[in-house]
Amino acid sequence: MIQLFHVWKHYAKRPALSDITLQIEKGEFVLLMGPSGAGKTTLLKLLFCAERADDGQILIQGKNVARIKPSGVPYLRRTMGFVFQDFRLLQKKSVFDNVALPLLVQGLSSFDIRRKATEALKAVGLEHKKESRPAMLSAGEQQRACIARAIVNSPLILLADEPTGNMDPDLAAEIMDLFKTINARGTTLLIATHNRQVVEQVNRRVVTLAEGKLASDVGAGQ
Amino acid sequence: MRRLGYWVCEAVTNIRVNQTTTFIAIVTTAFTLACFGVFLLLYLNLRGAVSSLQDDIKVIVYLHDNLSAQGLADLQRRLGGEPEVADLTYVSKDKALADFRTQFPSEQSLLQGLGENPLPASFEVTLAPRYRSTDAVKRWTDRLKAVPGVAQVQYSRDWIDNLATMIGYVELASVAVGMLLAAASVTIIANTIRLTLYARREEIEIMRLIGATGAFIKIPYLLEGAVLGTLGAMLALALLKGGFEFMTLHLGLPSQVLGLAPKLGFFPFQVSVWLVLAGLLLGTVGSLLSLVRLERSRV
Repeated sequence: MIQLFHVWKHYAKRPALSDITLQIEKGEFVLLMGPSGAGKTTLLKLLFCAERADDGQILIQGKNVARIKPSGVPYLRRTMGFVFQDFRLLQKKSVFDNVALPLLVQGLSSFDIRRKATEALKAVGLEHKKESRPAMLSAGEQQRACIARAIVNSPLILLADEPTGNMDPDLAAEIMDLFKTINARGTTLLIATHNRQVVEQVNRRVVTLAEGKLASDVGAGQ
Repeated sequence: MRRLGYWVCEAVTNIRVNQTTTFIAIVTTAFTLACFGVFLLLYLNLRGAVSSLQDDIKVIVYLHDNLSAQGLADLQRRLGGEPEVADLTYVSKDKALADFRTQFPSEQSLLQGLGENPLPASFEVTLAPRYRSTDAVKRWTDRLKAVPGVAQVQYSRDWIDNLATMIGYVELASVAVGMLLAAASVTIIANTIRLTLYARREEIEIMRLIGATGAFIKIPYLLEGAVLGTLGAMLALALLKGGFEFMTLHLGLPSQVLGLAPKLGFFPFQVSVWLVLAGLLLGTVGSLLSLVRLERSRV
């Protein structure tokens, strides 16, 4: 599903990622661990084409990311979902409109948009807050809204960057349970985190980066 | 359909949220288009006036006093057969004297000392529409001067031609001023849209991340620019109409121009529509300029 072969990325001549080779199979749940500055966010940015690798190959669903033209990037992104630490919700729009936005962008009918957005909100337990503005929600609820937006178009891959970064342990556990449910439905998950508790709770494959290099790749239960 | 609703809604939201910059953009566009409109109004009215004067143009063919009755009849027949002549009126020496006395009653003393009637007989020729251009009239009158019995040929063409030349300059000035002001309008609208883009850069980034294409993101801003340009043009038309009515009703200034008050008029409906469309185009071009920069900067 996701393949990286000898990937390099530099910022101001300093390597942010050095010779990364990694494969993630369809339906896998992978945690990307490492301290701040280890290269986790850079790796995710390469996967959703916010950055281009300086060297190496990245294949997503068999497509070489380096060969995708800028005009093709939106269509690749529509097959993925993203969850951010800072939620990145549109503050002027309701929760429903935020969740419906990826479907609107794809040109779905009003009926399908309403049906799918409602399903996604139900899946994250936020249907009762659909008319609220993001600012009126708690941090946990905002993250659920962000997850609902990420899964609303049934993506094959879901990427998350520190989704529990600013949350207390209980809330973080709740969000990770939600990710497990999503993964159980067949979505491939790659979640960047530096939270050890999350690793223990999820008990799945853990890929660790250190100073831009692949430090370890440990399977579930090992 | 829902996408269209989204785009319109976004454009309206942008305009509502950035009320001050929107107001400034509309007013500035209105003033720049109004300045251009003043030149256009002047140009169209002068052109109309000259065209009307050219329609009224008459050539006076003065005759030799010693022209016989047979010679007069031959000349009348010959002139009547010329393709340049649409209408021909004979003015005898006596009629010319009577006309002079009617038109200049205070100048009668000028004629008293001369004894017999010094005024020549003449033909007043109305030219056919095809032959009213400067070159055609000149060619014909030059030819006419050589015809036996013709003493002199006169026509009031020169000052009308000078006016036509002046209108040519007004036309040039209109184009130059129009281009300059159009560039100003485009820049102002481009800056307004750029401010909106800057204020909403995070939203644009989010839209990109969820898979929105460049066109989907840009359309609301293009609509916003088009609306600003259109509103600016409509306000410009209102300003011009107000100014025109004020001048014709209260100051009477246009009536002093060539004494053509009844022939002066505001833009025809079609020109007004073109002016509004020009505003729409300027607004859209302004937006496009900002969006090209957006594409380059990726905000």
